[in-house]
Amino acid sequence: MSVVPAGVQPAAPPPGALDLVVLGAGVGGYTAAFRAADLGLKVLLIERRPKLGGVCLNDGCIPSKALLHAAKVIEDAADMAASGIVFGPPQIDREQLRAWKNRVVNRLTGGLTVLAKQRKVDVLQGAAKFSGAFSLEVAHAGGSRHVDFKQCIVAVGSESARLPGLPDDPRVIDSTGALELPVDCKRLLVIGGGIIGLEMACVYDALGVKVTVVELSEGLMPGTDRDLVRPLQKRIAKRYERILLKTKVSHLEALPAGLRASFDGPEPAEPAVFDRVLVAVGRTANGNTINAAAAGLEVSPRGLIAVDRQMRSNVPHIFAIGDLTGDPMLAHKASHQGKVAAEVAAGRKSSFDARCIPSVAYTDPEVAWVGVSETQAKAQNLAYGKGVFPWAASGRSLALNRDEGFTKILFDPETHRILGAGIVGSNAGDLIAEVGLAIEMGADAADVGLTIHPHPTLSETVGFAAEAFEGTLTDLYIPKT
Amino acid sequence: MSSPIEVVVPDIGGFKDVSVIDVLVKQGQSIDKETPLITIETEKAAMDVPAPAAGRIAAVKLKQGDKVSEGSVILLLEPEGAADVGTAGVAAPGAAGGSSSSGAGNAGAQAAPAAPEQVAAATAAAAPAAPAASAPAPGVAPSAATAVSAPAAAAMPASAATSATSAPSAATAVSAPAPPAMSASAPAPAPTAAPGLPPPAATIDERAFSRAYASPSVRKFARELGADLGHIKGTGTKGRITSEDVKAHVKGILTRPPAPVAAAASGLPRVQVVDFAQYGPIEIKPLSRIQRISGTRLQASWINLPHVTQHEDADITELEAARLELKNKAAQEGVRLTPLVFIIKACLAALREFPRFNSSLDAGGENLVLKKYYNIGFAADTPNGLVVPVIANADRLNVYGIAHELAAMSEKARAGKLKNTEMQGGTFTISSLGGIGGTAFTPIINAPEVAILGLSKSRIKPVYDRGAFLPRLMLPLSLSYDHRVIDGAEAARFVVFLAKALGDVKGLV
Repeated sequence: MSVVPAGVQPAAPPPGALDLVVLGAGVGGYTAAFRAADLGLKVLLIERRPKLGGVCLNDGCIPSKALLHAAKVIEDAADMAASGIVFGPPQIDREQLRAWKNRVVNRLTGGLTVLAKQRKVDVLQGAAKFSGAFSLEVAHAGGSRHVDFKQCIVAVGSESARLPGLPDDPRVIDSTGALELPVDCKRLLVIGGGIIGLEMACVYDALGVKVTVVELSEGLMPGTDRDLVRPLQKRIAKRYERILLKTKVSHLEALPAGLRASFDGPEPAEPAVFDRVLVAVGRTANGNTINAAAAGLEVSPRGLIAVDRQMRSNVPHIFAIGDLTGDPMLAHKASHQGKVAAEVAAGRKSSFDARCIPSVAYTDPEVAWVGVSETQAKAQNLAYGKGVFPWAASGRSLALNRDEGFTKILFDPETHRILGAGIVGSNAGDLIAEVGLAIEMGADAADVGLTIHPHPTLSETVGFAAEAFEGTLTDLYIPKT
Repeated sequence: MSSPIEVVVPDIGGFKDVSVIDVLVKQGQSIDKETPLITIETEKAAMDVPAPAAGRIAAVKLKQGDKVSEGSVILLLEPEGAADVGTAGVAAPGAAGGSSSSGAGNAGAQAAPAAPEQVAAATAAAAPAAPAASAPAPGVAPSAATAVSAPAAAAMPASAATSATSAPSAATAVSAPAPPAMSASAPAPAPTAAPGLPPPAATIDERAFSRAYASPSVRKFARELGADLGHIKGTGTKGRITSEDVKAHVKGILTRPPAPVAAAASGLPRVQVVDFAQYGPIEIKPLSRIQRISGTRLQASWINLPHVTQHEDADITELEAARLELKNKAAQEGVRLTPLVFIIKACLAALREFPRFNSSLDAGGENLVLKKYYNIGFAADTPNGLVVPVIANADRLNVYGIAHELAAMSEKARAGKLKNTEMQGGTFTISSLGGIGGTAFTPIINAPEVAILGLSKSRIKPVYDRGAFLPRLMLPLSLSYDHRVIDGAEAARFVVFLAKALGDVKGLV
């Protein structure tokens, strides 16, 4: 018989359902909500915190950058002592510093509230859980509210991963706790030598705290090109109390005087007592906190939601964006995805077609990379050519009293198009943007080298690295091989 | 009573924009599970779509002549006791697209460079989920037509393309996950151009798309038009694809003449176009889908294959006598022993003797693909046009087996119920016009096969044998062959062998 059964679909959303509900008002969520509203959808934004902005604005990128700026001011001032400007040891009031940081955060989150009002995006505070394919129950202070939607964008983000076996003690903190700058912290142990751990280590070090970093793998910032990490490691090795690699904390004991940590690694390390222990071992996606099954939404055991290029989950009218969709867990990835999801929800044929996502560690010196890394190229046997410009030859870098940075660009050996880049040094995070644009535009070495870069800037080093590959660089003598 | 459910077109083997040739139910009608709802006609076969559940039809969402694809809404059904409906199967991607960073933490450290691949991986993980979900039932073969009754077909495939372009005829705003924003203004029933039109390119080569030399804005533009960016030639600096290139590409597709004409027009002089109406009254009658498709294929064969037709007469006097002897006995067992049964048998012997006749040229035209199986197609005339059912592995059947298959396939062909798989994989074709008449003809090879045997009406003819003319029953054979593969002498030997085999009754029965 030539017959096939017809498929069945669940009922449509009930009458009066909202066009779009966005779960989570982090960078991905509010971007999606605002974009969808701009495209004419009636949008409800649900956030469990009292303030918009999510982790990035409240407990992540922004407050940490405020503190890193403070750290830089302290360091730069001290560095000038050898050059004739002596300020003397700084007076640091951590309470006041924290208050300033909070003002920065509040200004931004307050701005978001205004932006939401201007766009007529309704904001509902509460913790939402799915109760069906087209409905949510939102628990808030006054009780619970039922919300029907036609489409939903899930953007509930991630939280700091916890390490099992640590004592339940307020002195064991995550990055959020670290941003509170406890006044009594004079000795800090950072578990995890990744970006987040090293950024916070950088702040505490500048504030005069003795810092120890413990990293389980062979090097700091695992996965990043070793040559990019080396200048950072060289600088902090001199400043920090200890950096223990291939080491784990075998035992952590809460004592009245502090937290006593025992180490297990190749290097003999005596147990030591710390005022605070910062756990920075990655982040866990929050996909398992929203009762996804009620909507038929598939979530992996690690809390991740698989999506297609249009950010659709396995349930076509439910989208997922940001940290929920996996690595890299970065705000700028989330906002880009948020726009794609909003546009698709509004009926546009949008798609995630970005070719590269830059990463930045806002340490001192900063480390940034984009596109194909050298580590990755080697692992995948990709043919590549390389142009490197050491900042010791950059007048601007020397004028900044720093010489350890360098700019490295990888090229396709045939087309000379840029495959990726890594930069270490002051403001590397800003410099990497040019390379990101070059990759998206398919620029080749000559395109970048022949673009006139302003002198004297650090941005010149990008042009110089391209010239080094092309063999047209004059600011450095590279013998022909 | 639960609210209406949408009944959608199920997996029909990947065919898109299939014609609805009949709507079998009306609004308000109460139906049982498995009641045929619509008849659709894919490339080669017509099939009914049955109801997934019993209930009352709230609204029929399409009409005869509409084009549908998997996921298109057929009708709204008020299910009878909501027990066995509703619970849409949940796709099971299982795959955690990307893993979050592990152990000694670094949220972003190894992240960025791998990002595009991860997106791709997530996509890949999502994509297979859809078929998996809709196919919990046994044997959902690639064939379009499979009888399955489990109603748990997934709501909609996760594939973005489908959900974006589904329900081309959904005029009102009932459809659940269909393009949402557009439905906001309820009284606008006419679908706007954007959601209604299918993308120009049905499939997009995502791998090539992700490497195309085009800036982000051009990529976005290509997505809006559904253009297959990876296969567009750039005219910008250094071959960069500009938005003008994307426009030109899409225009090219839109203005391209319909497929059959395009095939014919490839570098060949065109037949003169005549306004027939100026000479007298005319009537326009569209070709059936089968006619249009077989027309293209026949023309492709005619243009590409150098055809030669070799004729021969086979003496089947004794064969026919033997057949008539066996016929009644076989008929009692429900088997119709037609002459074609024995001719197939003889052809199998000839194909084994001359393996080049059971071959195809490979795509490059440099190698011969000799097939070690014998699937015999036979051309069947049906009300809708010419179809060629295939008897698979005919060499493993005896005459009764062949007779049985022949009868079953012919019946299905006449009823328009052949599955696609029953018309695929042929290695040699027979076209018999003997029942009608004629003395000889030049059949067109069913490419990529390399030979076809035409049969005309057998007649009693005088055959000169040892000093006298004897009345013998002669069957005219017309063997067309691909001269690139088979030379004339070999073809002559083939028909002589075949004629001899048809004369050797013992070898056939």
